[in-house]
Amino acid sequence: MTTTKRLLLVLTVVLCIAPLGFPQTPAAPAAATPAAAPAPTPKPITDADLANAPVPSADGRAKGDPDGSLTGTASDVTVSDPKKGLTIGDLANQVGQNKIAINFVWTLVTGFLVMFMQAGFAIVETGLCRAKNANHTMMMNFMVYGVGMLAYWLIGFAIQEGGVGAVANLGGTAPLSAEQMIHVFGKDVGIWGKNGFLLMHHGTYDVSVMVMFLFQMVFMDTALTIVTGTAAERWKYAAFVVSSFLMGAFTYPLFANWAWGGGWLATLGANFGLGHGYSDFAGSGVVHAVGGMTALAMGIIVGPRIGKYTRDGKPNAIPGHDIVLVLLGCFILAFGWFGFNPGSTLGASANGNLRISSVAVNTMLAGMAGSFGAMLYMWIRYRKPDASMTGNGLLAGLVAITAPSGFVNPVAAVIIGVIAGVLVCLSVEFIDRVLKVDDPVGAISVHGANGLWGVISVGLYADGTSNYGGSWNGVAGSVTGLFYGDAGQLVAQLVGVATLIGFVFSLSFIFNALIDWFVGQRVSAKAELEGLDIPEMGALGYPEFVIHAEAASVE
Amino acid sequence: MIILIGLLVTLLGFVISVLSLTLASSVGGRLVLVLLGIAVSLFGIMGLLNKHYLKNAIWKKG
Repeated sequence: MTTTKRLLLVLTVVLCIAPLGFPQTPAAPAAATPAAAPAPTPKPITDADLANAPVPSADGRAKGDPDGSLTGTASDVTVSDPKKGLTIGDLANQVGQNKIAINFVWTLVTGFLVMFMQAGFAIVETGLCRAKNANHTMMMNFMVYGVGMLAYWLIGFAIQEGGVGAVANLGGTAPLSAEQMIHVFGKDVGIWGKNGFLLMHHGTYDVSVMVMFLFQMVFMDTALTIVTGTAAERWKYAAFVVSSFLMGAFTYPLFANWAWGGGWLATLGANFGLGHGYSDFAGSGVVHAVGGMTALAMGIIVGPRIGKYTRDGKPNAIPGHDIVLVLLGCFILAFGWFGFNPGSTLGASANGNLRISSVAVNTMLAGMAGSFGAMLYMWIRYRKPDASMTGNGLLAGLVAITAPSGFVNPVAAVIIGVIAGVLVCLSVEFIDRVLKVDDPVGAISVHGANGLWGVISVGLYADGTSNYGGSWNGVAGSVTGLFYGDAGQLVAQLVGVATLIGFVFSLSFIFNALIDWFVGQRVSAKAELEGLDIPEMGALGYPEFVIHAEAASVE
Repeated sequence: MIILIGLLVTLLGFVISVLSLTLASSVGGRLVLVLLGIAVSLFGIMGLLNKHYLKNAIWKKG
């Protein structure tokens, strides 16, 4: 190291630590103020006052507005009657439109972030699979977006949201007002929605409904793509298309209706006194556990890959082909999660939506804690900080915080994340060694086990400080878990868990067993050994790379 | 046949959990019944369905 470099290094260190050594000058105390005189009664604003509102002159505007002080003034408020000029009514309408516009933009942009998560899932799963299946794995992740969207547009959205009723943050969504009800245990409970097929049915060609559709659609697609990871490297492509369509049209929307669309799980609080009913802020249960339970059903039906287990049932590790893709994909997913959780307020303005900052921070903290939990577990147990499991730990933390992100404080978020990081490692080992269900990417553990953990954690750690418009699921007050005094909330969450394990798994199993019965879910052994790229897709993912690898193995 | 029984047991766990809403009025009673339902469903999945499929697993065929 040269003298100049040494000097620069010393200077940098001194500059960095110097502020720590200097006493900090306390902020000047606020000047003492005399006791305030009683405030005068505010004078009501009239239309005449608005007529005198300062607006920039045309000449001033023509010179440009480099500091932004002339742009966005009273002159930009839409006037309903030019003869009357600006009125209080115009102003109130503009305020209302601004609120809804903020919420529209927030929900749409966060939806776009969630859509980008598909890219993250695609490269995580492809990286964890072998190069000979790269085209097939990538294509499943690519087309699950289209297949799922088609099913959801045709059928799924109406089942899920057709009876959700008015969503105040989005200006009403009034056309989504038809929920099929049944009478059980002396209560009327919702089981599916009936408005919104093709987004044209019963007035659903509506700006608020369109926002709702886009946001809910990308969530649904996240659930669908979880299954492609578990069944990768042996799933028949045609069977994948049919299976994904059924999940996007029926399985996912049904549970999502029960939790988010005004269905019976959401009203467990109002109808049966269980806290605020099943509460799943952004979808640990609705999205991730539904995907995880379906993945478990598929993993059982499709069976392990050839070579995964020895004849006496001992598991073999089948490493993926690109850890760089895996960790890059995890980062993309973590980025997209800032749409997933904070976006689930469906708005940034009014109704307690400023809590988006808390939701976002909880999300990033739990992801960090999950990656630490998994990394330390693997480091201690196997002497190496395994990269793919650390990535899965990050995702596990994010999955687990998805349901509680809107209801818990940062310390709870870290606890939930750490537990998720360790849980994903234990779950992978259990599924691999005890259940002997082959899950190439660990999707059942990441999304299934941790999705369920996230649902339960709401019932434990919700601290009762959230306030989204004064009530949640039709019950006044804030969602509060067992550790803060409401055991009923935990029971509501567990009823949700029982529904996911008992009902969602069964429905997914029936659909996929029928597909297996009629067309078969699994490719031939020959195709599997050869790699699915040519037999299923007609082209290799990496032609030169595969040829080189085969040659190397012969040598 | 085992598949059908496994599915029915899995669904039975769900039914037990839902029935807890009317069979018990206390939070504790409901909690016990819901946990019982979850256990029954897990037995249906892991103890019946998965075990049945493992009998014909590809790695047992040599």
